[in-house]
Amino acid sequence: MTTDNSGDVRLSGISKTYGSFTAVHPLDLTVPQGSFFALLGASGCGKTTTLRMIAGLEEPSSGSVHLGDQDVTHLPPYKRPVNTVFQSYALFPHLDIFENVAFGLRRRGIKSVKKQVEDMLELVQLGEQARKKPHQLSGGQQQRVAVARALINHPKVLLLDEPLGALDLKLRRQMQLELKRIQTEVGITFIHVTHDQEEAMTMADTVAVMNAGRVEQLGAPTDLYENPQTTFVANFLGTSNLIEAEVDSRNGDEIILKAAGAKLTLPGARCSAPATAGGKVLVGVRPEKVSLTHADDAGEVPEGRNRITGRIADSSFIGVSTQYVIDSPVCPEFEVYAQNIDRDARLTPGAEVVLHWNPAHTFGLDAAQDIDAGVETVEADEGVAA
Amino acid sequence: MAFVNWLKRNLVVIAGLLTLGYLLLPNVIVTVFSFNKPKGRFNYEWQQFSLDAWKQPCGVADMCGSLSISLQIAIWATIGATVLGTMIAFALVRYRFRARGAVNSLIFLPMAMPEVVMAASLLTLFLNMGAQLGFWTILIAHIMFCLSFVVTAVKARVMSMDPRLEQAAQDLYAGPFQTFVRVTLPIAAPGIAAGALLAFALSFDDFIITNFNAGSTVTFPMFVWGSAQRGTPVQINVIGTTMFIVAVLFVLASMALGNRRNRQKA
Amino acid sequence: MAAVTEAPPLAPATPKKKPPRKRGRLTPYWLLLPGILWLVVFFALPMIYQASTSVQTGSLEQGYKVTWHFATYWDALAQYWPQFVRSVLYAAAATLLCLVLGYPLAYLIAFRAGRWRNLIMILVIAPFFTSFLIRTLAWKTILADNGPVVGALGTLHVLDVTNWLGWTSGDRVLATPLAVVCGLTYNFLPFMILPLYTSLERIDPRLHEAAGDLYARPWTTFRKVTFPLSMPGVVSGTLLTFIPAAGDYVNADLLGSTDTRMVGNVIQTQFLRILDYPTAAALSFILMAAILAMVTLYIRKSGTEDLV
Repeated sequence: MTTDNSGDVRLSGISKTYGSFTAVHPLDLTVPQGSFFALLGASGCGKTTTLRMIAGLEEPSSGSVHLGDQDVTHLPPYKRPVNTVFQSYALFPHLDIFENVAFGLRRRGIKSVKKQVEDMLELVQLGEQARKKPHQLSGGQQQRVAVARALINHPKVLLLDEPLGALDLKLRRQMQLELKRIQTEVGITFIHVTHDQEEAMTMADTVAVMNAGRVEQLGAPTDLYENPQTTFVANFLGTSNLIEAEVDSRNGDEIILKAAGAKLTLPGARCSAPATAGGKVLVGVRPEKVSLTHADDAGEVPEGRNRITGRIADSSFIGVSTQYVIDSPVCPEFEVYAQNIDRDARLTPGAEVVLHWNPAHTFGLDAAQDIDAGVETVEADEGVAA
Repeated sequence: MAFVNWLKRNLVVIAGLLTLGYLLLPNVIVTVFSFNKPKGRFNYEWQQFSLDAWKQPCGVADMCGSLSISLQIAIWATIGATVLGTMIAFALVRYRFRARGAVNSLIFLPMAMPEVVMAASLLTLFLNMGAQLGFWTILIAHIMFCLSFVVTAVKARVMSMDPRLEQAAQDLYAGPFQTFVRVTLPIAAPGIAAGALLAFALSFDDFIITNFNAGSTVTFPMFVWGSAQRGTPVQINVIGTTMFIVAVLFVLASMALGNRRNRQKA
Repeated sequence: MAAVTEAPPLAPATPKKKPPRKRGRLTPYWLLLPGILWLVVFFALPMIYQASTSVQTGSLEQGYKVTWHFATYWDALAQYWPQFVRSVLYAAAATLLCLVLGYPLAYLIAFRAGRWRNLIMILVIAPFFTSFLIRTLAWKTILADNGPVVGALGTLHVLDVTNWLGWTSGDRVLATPLAVVCGLTYNFLPFMILPLYTSLERIDPRLHEAAGDLYARPWTTFRKVTFPLSMPGVVSGTLLTFIPAAGDYVNADLLGSTDTRMVGNVIQTQFLRILDYPTAAALSFILMAAILAMVTLYIRKSGTEDLV
């Protein structure tokens, strides 16, 4: 890590309101120099507005934006050492690739741009295409031009607004790795806005999950996934099984809970809600952490594991795993993903089963929240974000 | 039966081509009669082939003078209407302001108004102000009625332009002026060119408004109008034919240019 | 992110920490000012002058005064109502003809022309660049009394029918209503074709296939899919044809006779020859009001108000 902090982005209390609509609630956020930071959320959550305020394309209604020690809150975009890769790229249709990439250099009065532009096009593997117009390139190539056009200016911070949204799935995966490689190579702070949780988790060191103009949770991808603090994060990042339970007692570091006759154990450190005896808590567990045993073999389930019973309502085979939906007294649609290693032929819809998992994989959430917050409706309105 | 089926399938094509013929027939007549040697003052009946008129296109008193006046007016009207109209179009698309509805109506109304009404009312204004009718009053009138058409053409183009392009320019260190010159203007250019071309054609060919507000100045359409009463010289057809050919060549050339550019890109 | 992507106007950024976008607020007004001023002074103001002139009395020699003499309107209407009626009838006939003739051509360009599309487009637009007066005069040759068109119509006994209908008289087409309507149709046809083409071109050809797939015969496909979708073009095309046709006097003058005079002819004569300004102004005002009323009604009825 360098001691240079000129690439730090510090947002202090910035907010944005349009009339009576609040797009971003007052927000504090620090993105350290050289990190790959993702703002993740569904469309309309305020992530793009936040990004545009950093770029200078949107004036914050309150608060300030600092780059390193410099206050840039009121600096117009063309005076900020920050560049953006726009959604759908915004390549200038009347200029060829070379001139698109050279645009920023020329505007800053740099005369001999040839070498730099050629090197940059080499970096993104587009050396051959310099004299083509944007519309003659494929989506992936356009995307790389957009990145080159921004990076050539050596910005302190590179902002990426859904940069992969227009690409098909396979290309998207490829470009994710590509962007990650470039970021490691140039060492610039990247702030990346996306609604795709997998993309955020693959690429970013730190992810901020946004919902309704607020940051719900911020942390490393594994932290967010393994230990979500809100139902929104639990549901938006992957899938969670959430069970309403009542706190029975505390036993040292463990909280003992009751849910429809089942007794569950939850490590106290993994509970983000106050757990007083008699109070309600939402108990969560990820589908892939849960094992499935046929009711006939219930005796073989080791002691000390959380266990509940249910009946298989549905199963779908998807190659690497089989996804089961279990109708259980504690949760009508409990999901379980089982690796296809040794398939038990008896696990078909209608079979009575025991579900069990290591208590360490359990997390606890405040029961006052909407249990369905963040449940997948994202892909459906993806288009609206454009 | 096969023929009936063919006819059925291609009925719309045949009807369309007939309409096209209807549209082009007068141009054919104009061209053919530019080689006529009429008896008497009117060039309505075919007599015999002659190149006289083509050899002396300006052989008629005042005709080429009127042509030159028309060209001058058309050029200035195009410039005026294009500049003013482009400004309005940008304001309409890119900014929020009060009285947008009133501005929109003021732009729309001249296009929804019969020319003769605008012509007559403008003349009342000029008479009331005691203005000297002539070149300037014609120019004023032409800029007035071309303006709305330019606004419409430019607006359509600017509206279809992604505002992110300008934001990208700003993000890449282009100030407001640079952004306008380097990005906005080049991208809006086809719309502005279309508006200008339309303004030129409208101004050059206008008769009704010009006739009311011209005083003793004679534009080319007015010359043609006058000759319809006094006698139509063959040279009129020469000019008409030339205009048609120049227009077609102009469009073909610009298309060829566009094609070549496309091929270069590929 | 609806609220976000509805991009706020690009305000020219202000340097330093001045309250931002102050200067940007005035920019639209500066952009609008010259053009709008031009339209106010040379379009709106004249309308007011004209309205005032129409209620003045006096003479050229002694000058005119506003006397709120509304009788001018009644006199004008009483004397010239036939010309008004004729204008509306001729313009309506020409508009209908333009629609009937123009639709197949617009359809042809939009869906059937293939690589000829550009060429046909040029051929539709190019005549614009030959003075319309010259082209209108060409109709005098085409419709000449001893020309092939009149000859053919006579042999086919079409003239007998049109004579009976009052559209033509004697063995002539020139100097009859038919010639005037023919000229009007010809002159304003491109104004019908272009908007029709624009709205037809936007129709996804797959819609035709979908309609066919759903058991619609070609004619049904046209009636239920293509035509409804081209309505914006039909509406703006008919407006762009009807309005100028109703105010036109060139065709009536060059191709017609004293019996085919339209209201435009009257206004022109009153203004430029007889110099009876109040009557001319009143006539012009009535024409304007009538057309605006008709257009508003039409737009309301057809439900396409986004023409502006």
